[in-house]
Amino acid sequence: MAATATKTVMKPEAISEEAFYFPQGLAGFSDAHEFGFIYEGHGDIVCLQSIDSPEAAFLLTPWDEARLGPVPKLPNEQCSCINVQAQDQIMWMVVLNPFADKQWVTANLRAPIALNLEARLGLQCIRADSELEIRYRWMAQPS
Amino acid sequence: MLILRRKIGQVITINDNIRIIIQDVQNEHIVRIGIEAPPEIPVHRMEIYNIIQEENASAGSAGALNWLKGASNDGSNSDENSDET
Repeated sequence: MAATATKTVMKPEAISEEAFYFPQGLAGFSDAHEFGFIYEGHGDIVCLQSIDSPEAAFLLTPWDEARLGPVPKLPNEQCSCINVQAQDQIMWMVVLNPFADKQWVTANLRAPIALNLEARLGLQCIRADSELEIRYRWMAQPS
Repeated sequence: MLILRRKIGQVITINDNIRIIIQDVQNEHIVRIGIEAPPEIPVHRMEIYNIIQEENASAGSAGALNWLKGASNDGSNSDENSDET
């Protein structure tokens, strides 16, 4: 499959059909491995919810290159974790936090989510760069 | 806590599948180590991992889905923040 073809299907509603397996879990939720995507029709935002532990639920939105710059590069040793051979196989999403700030929904740029859509595998990529914002102002809170 | 003395090049094993190799000691204070572990085992610097753990705990809750449902019902939409969907 061509890289561009992979990118064009990066719509939240397109990934909300089957469960994804996160071999490492997520930081702080390492026992949660199987997640489902729930799309509620709110723009590009989806909810990633643990199937085993539904209290572990995260809001995700696709990495926006126009605002954030190029997508991150997943280290080779982590590529094998989600079974990707090339970087353009990865769909990148950021974790949104609607609870940290009354005025803003923030985005964690330091630990985005890498997805292999074909294999239904996911990984939270924790990046060492301390310049990356944990609470980047993504959008204003809905009124 | 188990405390071991190791020389450069020596290895510590954990289970059958994790190896920690002492690579180098710089300026008598900084130790470089190599870690071989299965891909499903996350390996991170603790101070960074702790920050992400805290942020995930703040962002990840059952309330996230309720927030999304509420935001959708408000009729507000985040499309204005995206170039295309």
